[in-house]
Amino acid sequence: MATEHPPDTVVRFDGVSKQFDSEVLALDDVSLSVRAGEMVVLLGLSGSGKSTLLRHVDGLQRATSGTVTVLGTDVGRARGAGLRRLRHRIGFVFQQFHLVGSLTVLENVCTGALGRLRGPRLGLLSYPRTVRHEALRHLDRVGLLSQAFQRADTLSGGQQQRVAVARALMQRPQILLADEPVASLDPESSAQIMRLIKEIGEEEGLTVLCSLHQVDLALSWGHRIIGLRAGRVLMDSPVSALTRDDVMSVYARLGVATPAVLTAKAG
Amino acid sequence: MTVATAVAPTPPSPPPPADPATAPRTLPRPRAGGVAAVLVMTALAGFACWAFADLRINAATLVDSASNAVDFTRRMVPLDFPPVAEVLRLCGQTMAVVVCATLLSVLLSVPVAVLAAGNTTPHPSARFAARAVIVLARAVPDVVLAIVFFRVFGLGALTGVLAMGLHSVGMVGKMYADAIEQIDEGPRTAVRATGAGRLQQLVSGVLPQVLPSLVANALHRLDINLRISVLLGFVGVNGLGYEIAGALNALNYRRGMALALIVLLLCVLVELLSGTIRRALLRNAAAGGRARGVRGGGARTAGGRTGLVRTVPAPIAAAPAAAARAAATRVSPPWNARRVRRTAYAAMTLLALAASVWGAGLAPGQFFGALGNIGRTLGLFWPPKTGGILPDLLSDLFDTVEIAFAATLIGLVLALPVGALAARNVAPSPATAAVFRVVVVLVRGIPELVLAIVFVVITGLGPVAGALALGIGAVGLLGKLVADSLEEVDPGVEAALRATGAGRWQVFCSATLPQAAPALVGHVLYQLDVNIRSATLLGIVGAGGIGFDLLNASRVLDFGVVTTVLVLVFATVLAVELLAVWLRRVVR
Repeated sequence: MATEHPPDTVVRFDGVSKQFDSEVLALDDVSLSVRAGEMVVLLGLSGSGKSTLLRHVDGLQRATSGTVTVLGTDVGRARGAGLRRLRHRIGFVFQQFHLVGSLTVLENVCTGALGRLRGPRLGLLSYPRTVRHEALRHLDRVGLLSQAFQRADTLSGGQQQRVAVARALMQRPQILLADEPVASLDPESSAQIMRLIKEIGEEEGLTVLCSLHQVDLALSWGHRIIGLRAGRVLMDSPVSALTRDDVMSVYARLGVATPAVLTAKAG
Repeated sequence: MTVATAVAPTPPSPPPPADPATAPRTLPRPRAGGVAAVLVMTALAGFACWAFADLRINAATLVDSASNAVDFTRRMVPLDFPPVAEVLRLCGQTMAVVVCATLLSVLLSVPVAVLAAGNTTPHPSARFAARAVIVLARAVPDVVLAIVFFRVFGLGALTGVLAMGLHSVGMVGKMYADAIEQIDEGPRTAVRATGAGRLQQLVSGVLPQVLPSLVANALHRLDINLRISVLLGFVGVNGLGYEIAGALNALNYRRGMALALIVLLLCVLVELLSGTIRRALLRNAAAGGRARGVRGGGARTAGGRTGLVRTVPAPIAAAPAAAARAAATRVSPPWNARRVRRTAYAAMTLLALAASVWGAGLAPGQFFGALGNIGRTLGLFWPPKTGGILPDLLSDLFDTVEIAFAATLIGLVLALPVGALAARNVAPSPATAAVFRVVVVLVRGIPELVLAIVFVVITGLGPVAGALALGIGAVGLLGKLVADSLEEVDPGVEAALRATGAGRWQVFCSATLPQAAPALVGHVLYQLDVNIRSATLLGIVGAGGIGFDLLNASRVLDFGVVTTVLVLVFATVLAVELLAVWLRRVVR
């Protein structure tokens, strides 16, 4: 595994393992580094550790051993306000959108600004006008300006995910994490969301870590693919060096011979 | 309560610009329903605050009452407990009545619920009728029923069993109907597809799914009925409550408070017992759901091992060998530890029920004999009369409503923090949540009657005692409901906001509270509804309001006035109920 890290590394895992209360080892000695502006796709079977890996990046889960360094901060040691400041620089898009269905679309986007606002907020009026304007701009960008005052639960799945992207943008993030952002969507909405994330990522110079299930989408979308199996990094390679069959082998059953390309190193 | 979703006032709005992107509105246009909901809720909250002030519930009143409290304590100690045998007899008597009443309510509620549930009702008109029965049963206070039945059946268990049993249908029936409407239709469809009749579908497709909730709700009602039965002692339902009423009427506080302490212990005991059973049931139901697939498969391969299948039709292509094997295999479940345990529990339950029916001494002869003059007795209650005291009645009714509102306000102010701290996803640590859960259970265990008596003695007869007793008692119910509805929110949304870097309070206000808000509004209105009925009840022990008129009228055999009071209370409760239904629909 990579031991030297280029100076523009924004995410670094050093020998990270995560053990849940049972004997399940969700991450098993994972080491990797991601450079600023990279778009990385995580591939792997369900339960291979993709979500766990993403959740370690912004400290929603903590490593059992090893260190996770993000934007120069040791995530495992960050607590309280420090951790919240770090999280505010990292956008997170979830598979299940996680919007408050009974609130308006606009208020859901505004909640992305909570990390830089003081105190609790209840109701749109409690957000400063400038925040609301900024939220409207982000909604415009994801193409949902006209739905700003609808309840979030009246939108389709694809629209809700775009709202979630707008909420993440509201954080003015440096890193965007996406945990199977299109797994609950139809192919057309999926393509739309992935295009949106890519466009925004390139325009804003974001570092994007995105877990996916669709091999073809991964090949056409990312710069680099990391394949996980049973919590271990099985493959870490630039997309240009991979064929579809190489990638499919991540999904192959255990015991199948490992192709040589899987040992290729990234960058 | 602020509801984030409802509306925000119109900003001093400039005319909408041509291009929405340059100067867009940053606030939604108010909706008529939302504005109305906010106005109504503000008005309710305002009235509650006014009631609180008008009843002079403040520190000064309490300080003034301190000397009363000292005086009372002096007259109360040493407590004068009856002999142990007597205590056990009274507890047994009370429990017998309560169990019988709950049993009656379950027996009545099951058919009513089947008719009232949208997916099992034979006809929309039957559904409407069943729903009407449920609302009626809920709106007629049990104490009114008790007064009526006391007149018909006299002193004894029958009065209490019928009064609580019929009134409970209002809650139990509604819960059962809701449970039936929430089932997975799949199994029932499958049963229907085999050619089963309507009743067979209910028993094989619906009952297994709702059984845990059936038992859990019955146990919950048992807790409630136990507290109510004590109050009903004041209008002639025998048991612990009757003895307390007698002791207090004779100003024998030593005996009265000793009995009240026994009631408290009994309530906490029953609460703990039923809570344990309910948790075990729900856990079993959840575990059963996960294991069902596996067990079902096992049963199939073993050739119809399940005890439910009485006749095992031969498979179409069964080879003779297979048939012989099936014949040799036992067709009832093996007596493993699980089955022994279940049978033992079932037997214990049946035994307890039988003992209660026997112990309550329900005499069928008395019942049918009295049924003969029920027409004449009910004639006493008609027509409603005001006895020339209508203004007094109305003013007392207003007192009762005031007490209920003030109590709900006190309850809300206490229950919100307690409930929030008892919710695992909100409390700062799991230990805090556990501690506050225990607090809620303990408060729930204290019967309102005991609180009311204590406050009546401390603050004197009147509405302050009632409002304080109900307000503190409300922490038990409302605190639990608040904690439950906070715990039921989608944790993903909270995680999403934590991931944006939001702090604890921000996550609570922006994710947890908005998701729980509709449920919270519903619970507060439910508590208000409960409090109006309870305020009526507590009036009977001298905590102010219209309950006192009710008791007086029934003592002087002025049954026309009883009917008038009944109609007044009924109308009030119904009005609150309708308001609640409307608000719940708007604030979703």
